[in-house]
Formats: sequence, structure tokens, C-alpha cells
Amino acid sequence: MKEIEKFLRENKPLVKEDPGFILEARRRMEQVEGIKAEVDRQRGRGRRALVVALVAGLALGVAASALAYLYPVNAASVDEGLWQSFRLFLQEYRGLLIYPLAALAITLSLVLSKKTAVQ
Amino acid sequence: MTRERFIDEVRQQQEPLRRFLLALCGGNAPLADDIAQEALVRAYVASGSFLGLSKFSTWLFRIAYNCYIDHCRKSRLEEAPLQAAESVPAADGADRSFRYQQLYLALERLPEKERAAIALFYFEDRSIKEISSILQMPQGTVKYHLSLGRNHLKDML
Repeated sequence: MKEIEKFLRENKPLVKEDPGFILEARRRMEQVEGIKAEVDRQRGRGRRALVVALVAGLALGVAASALAYLYPVNAASVDEGLWQSFRLFLQEYRGLLIYPLAALAITLSLVLSKKTAVQ
Repeated sequence: MTRERFIDEVRQQQEPLRRFLLALCGGNAPLADDIAQEALVRAYVASGSFLGLSKFSTWLFRIAYNCYIDHCRKSRLEEAPLQAAESVPAADGADRSFRYQQLYLALERLPEKERAAIALFYFEDRSIKEISSILQMPQGTVKYHLSLGRNHLKDML
């Protein structure tokens, strides 16, 4: 057994000197850093898009609440059925409908652009 | 850990790490270096999680061993060990080349854990405690694998 131990200790594998090894390691680390930076950039962009979408949603909600408060719907018209109520709603708020639609379009475009960026 | 600090640490560990992997890969130097590079990338990515609870070299060797195991699982390779002699410097002569060839052939026939335990204990002069940490097994199991490995090598060499 001692012979085997002696043989192993005396015959450690020899590693050839290779100055390119560290250079290659450095190159790969730079690549890793590049990927990390790109991932961080994408995450930041996604986070910003999410915040903008949230703010847009909040603004839309506030606007809808304000509209409902400022122009209350005639409660009697609700009794006339769903379709009738919808028609009355459109008649009353026709001029203001452009704002929620625009907000919806902005939100959708932000969400879709975020998805595209992640892909 | 900054990149420069990491590279400084790696520079110190470069030779032992490559030697350890060379022994694991049965003397296939290009494969050993490929796995070493992969291990360095993994270590660099995870360097933020290195808390200094163990030595940097122990941590790095553990990652390298895991890379080697992953590589084996992926490819189930048993590369031609005769390439080993080619990686021995010519100045050492034919006799030494032959001894290395024999050694690598014998190491290749050992199970991975025995090979790793032998390489770390005899080639890298690691303590049983360190080997236990690198191979993630109890110290008694390391001793068991060392004993088995020695017996197997005795039969083969």
C-alpha cells in the first residue's frame, strides 16, 4: 500500500503552462458581465413599463370615478334593462369616451412592448 | 467580489484546479481545461454568494467537481485515456510518459468518487475535512472511498 501511495505522490499529473488560460477566463467573465448588464437593462425597462402601466391604470380609475361623481347616471334608467342602460351611458358620455380609450391603448402598447423586449 | 479580485484568486488556484480536473478526465487536457473554464464562469456568476465560510479554493474545487459530474451525466463519456501521454512534457522522457499513461488508465477505471478522493488527497494534498467539503460527503465516506481507490489502484498498477 505504501508503494501505491509513493507512486501517486511522485506522479502528480503535470499541467502544461498555459498563459492563455487566464486570458480565456477573463474573456468569458467579460461576456458574463455583458449578459448580466443586458439582463439588468431588460429588467429595468420591464419595471419602468410596469410602473407606467400602473400609473395609467390608476389615472384611468380616478378619471372614471370622477366622471361617475360629476355626471351621475339616472338610476331610473337602470331599470330599463342592460342594453338600454348601456345606450344611455354612451349617449351621456359620448364626448368623454375618447380618454379611457386612449388610456387603454397606451396601457396595451406598453404591456406589448414589454413582452417584445423580454423576448 | 470584483472581477480583478476573482481573477487574482483564480490565478493562484489555476494549476491545482487544472491538475485536479486533468486527473478526473483521465489525462485529457483539453477536456479538463474546458471544464475548468466552465467552472470558473459558474463560480464568477455565483461569486456574490461566496460568504467566505470555507476557503476560496475549496469552494472553487466543489464547483469544478460539480461541473465534472454534470459533464459526465450529459455525455457519459469515457474518453480515450491514451491521449494522456501526449499531455506529458516531452522533456520528461518516454519512461515518465509511460508511467502517466498507466496512471491515467488506472484512474479512468476507478469510480468517479474514488478518483476524485485519490486526486484530491494525493495530488492536491488536501485534508480529509476539505475533501469532505469538496465532494459533499461525510469524512468517513471519504476515507472509505480513499481506501477502496487505493486497493483498486494496487490491483491495476
